[in-house]
Order: sequence, then C-alpha cells, then structure tokens
Amino acid sequence: MTQSEGGGAPPKWGPHNTVRVVDPSPVNWLSITWNTMEEPNRVDHDGIGQPSLAESFTWVDDETLEMTMRDAVYQDGERFDAHMFKLGFDKVQEWDNPHPPGAFLNFAPDVTCEAIDDKTIRMRFPGKDSAALMKLRGMHLPSTRFWNEWGFRDPETGSAEGHW
Amino acid sequence: MLTSGTSTLKGRTDEVVMEPNETYWNPARKPKVRIVYDNAIDKAEAIRSVAAGDGRVDVVFDVVPDVAHAFRSDRAKIQAKRSKSVLTGVFNENKPNSPWVKPELRRALNLALDRERILKDGAHGYGEIMPVFIQQGRYGSDPALRPFAHDVGTAAHLVEEGGLKGQKVVIVASPTYGRVVDEIIKDLHEIGLQGKAVITREEPPEDWDVKLEWYFDWSPQYPVGVVHREFFGKGGILRHAPEDAGFDRLYEKLLRTVQQPAQEEVVREVERYCHDQAKALFLYSPNTLFAVSDRVGFTAYDTCMSELAETVVKD
Repeated sequence: MTQSEGGGAPPKWGPHNTVRVVDPSPVNWLSITWNTMEEPNRVDHDGIGQPSLAESFTWVDDETLEMTMRDAVYQDGERFDAHMFKLGFDKVQEWDNPHPPGAFLNFAPDVTCEAIDDKTIRMRFPGKDSAALMKLRGMHLPSTRFWNEWGFRDPETGSAEGHW
Repeated sequence: MLTSGTSTLKGRTDEVVMEPNETYWNPARKPKVRIVYDNAIDKAEAIRSVAAGDGRVDVVFDVVPDVAHAFRSDRAKIQAKRSKSVLTGVFNENKPNSPWVKPELRRALNLALDRERILKDGAHGYGEIMPVFIQQGRYGSDPALRPFAHDVGTAAHLVEEGGLKGQKVVIVASPTYGRVVDEIIKDLHEIGLQGKAVITREEPPEDWDVKLEWYFDWSPQYPVGVVHREFFGKGGILRHAPEDAGFDRLYEKLLRTVQQPAQEEVVREVERYCHDQAKALFLYSPNTLFAVSDRVGFTAYDTCMSELAETVVKD
C-alpha cells in the first residue's frame, strides 16, 4: 500500500532504517550510556580524546582548568550551558563513590567548580590532578528534568552510592 | 529521558531501542538510523543470523578469533578493529612462596615467549604485539621500547638459576584464550617448565601462577589511569601482588604532572618501569572483532565501546 492509498505518513522507523545489534560485552551498559548521555569530552573512533559538550579545555595553571561550553539544547528545549555543567558536578559530588568502574573516577572532595558565566566553567584541583580530563569523560551532563525525575539513584535504595 | 547524547533511549525490555536525538548539536554525529540492542538472542545464533542475512541481526560485537576465522558468508563480513585493548598474563605474587615476586623469573617467562607465533597460531593473527600496554604510535608509547625478545637461552638460564626448572606453571584463562594458553605452554616447555592450562569462566584454583586478563582503555589519552593502575596500582582490580611502591610513586608523579608534553613523558616512564620490572606476562593487543551485515556501514571504535552514532544502513 502506498502512502497516498493509506492516507497517512508512513511509519518513521522500520527495517529499512533500523540496525539491530547484539553486544554481549559485560560493559554494554557503558556503551548505551555513552550513546544516550553526553559528557564534556569523548573519545573518537581512533581512540583520541575530543571536545564534546565542552568545546575547549585550558589549564590556566597546574590547579585550574577552564572550559568553554558549547551551545546545545536538550530534547525538552532546555538550554545547555555552564550552569548545567555545574549542576552535574554538584550532583556527582553528593556521593562518595558513584562510578561503577571505580573510585579512581571520583573528583576529590576539595575540588571546586564555578560557572563564571553562561559559557565558562572554572574548576580548581587543589594539589593538582592530571586525571581530570579522564574523569570528565565519565561525567554525564543531563537536563534538569532528568535530575529531578530520575537521576542515577537506584529506585529501590534511593541512593547512587556504589559498592565498587 | 532527557539527556544530551547522540541518541535518545526509547525503552528497555529484551530490547534497548535508541532513536536519533533530533536536537543534537553536531549534525556530523547525528545518527541516521534507529538502533535496537537485542539482549535476548543467543550470541552464536546472532552470528548465524548475520551470516545468513535474515534481517534479525545486523552487527554482533565481541566475536572471538576462532569464530571470526571460521566465519563464511556472502552477505556479511568480519570487521577487525585495532583497539586500545590488552591481553596480559597476571602473575600471582600473592600465593604462598610465589616465585613470581622475583623480577628475574617474571622476565624469564617473558623471554620464553614467541609472541608472533602465539598471536598467529593462538588467535589467527587478530592482534598487535606491543612492549607493555601501549601500542606503538599511540599516546604515551615509547619508540625506543621494544617487546621482549624471544630468547630461549636466557629464559632457560634464569629459570634454572631461580630453582624453577621442572616446575609446573598453572595458567588460567577464559575459553576465548584457550588456544593462546596452549601456545604459551609450548614455549614454557622449551625453557624447562611444565605448563598446566585451566580454562574456565569460574573462579580459578588458588594456586594459579598466571591468569590471562583482557582489558581496555576507554580514556582520552590517560592509559595509565585506566589500564596500568588496574593491573599494578593501589586499588587495582586486577592486581595479584603486594603494593608496588615504585609503581605508586610513578602514578603519583603522573597525577601531579598536568601539562603536556611532560605528562606524556611520565606515561612513557611508567611503560619503561613496567617493562624493566617485567610486571606481567605481556602478550599483545587483541583486535576487536565484529560480524557485520553488508547492508550496514559500521564504524568501530578503538575504545571497544559500541558507540553507534556513525552506523548507517547502506541505500
């Protein structure tokens, strides 16, 4: 049946534009996270770090990292800006050990994050932390509604605290 | 779900369904297809489906070398991707009276191996030999560092000197690497050791000597934090040895070296230290292998992650 015969638009998704995959990896949850979340930086198909929601990173000195945020919009129309980064940082710092891969991804409790303006984030790492960009790769930056309605909390325990 | 990635998550049952994020900021990475992860189908059946081109499955990740080698289809192919992965033998330095606390005996086993043959006959050549954990040409690799030579004479001498001649070496691995273990054992015989393979997905016996571990580097140029630290550092989940003050000092130095190119030089220093101390039985970097339908254009990632933003259906 053609579109005109049926009188409506054809289904948007069908076999012609669907790819079906099987990923038996024990870390397939991480792949799905990285397909559906975004972070300040990412790693491209050649294994090289690339800017993502932050368009630039500058070490102002050995303890101070400044990032310029990209113009982007969430699915619900909320604008992404430096304040959303700050929200994501504050949320992750609420927990002692929130990352499934391990505590090595944690920012130290004395790390600070400040939205200088809508575009600029300044993070301070007392004592230095060269692993900062690695840690940022694991820092997801969802919308306000995501944090308010879901977050990363276990629905049964209400906690995002890991036991890894 | 209100996130900001390339795709939006539509649901999760036996399937995870992702559709393109219409508001995604980067047109170059905006997906053109819907992705369905099938979490229910058996892996072997999924590979057969790709080969048959029956439309149930288009891409299967983590295909093992034996299956990739045997794969035949006129509707699909195996894609092999150089990846930031390692296959390494962890020495059990924690077992009572472990000989592997001695660097010269760890070195002996490294010198015993003919890595080219092990890779070819044990894994159909799907991989790349490297000195430690970083492939040549990647961030942090040391151009002057070479994989351990295949030096049977020196290896046998070190084994005899260390009082290990004639002893049994228990090597543990998952079934994926059973043939690799067989090849390693052949080389151990050449230096006067007996080898015993324990191929299992379960917990190994406590007296194992070497355990093959696969691991991967997903990081933006921070391999020591993700890989080396897990094998040798404080809190490393793959470490079966006492804490190593030498390694920990270097890792601390790395953490405090923020600026490039100095940071990369510390990474090279870590690689040299691990090589000098023969911290593990260094093997090779396995390729990541995929069964891919000809109807799909699939871009694999060096990180071993199934990121699918660039995956398309061909015409």
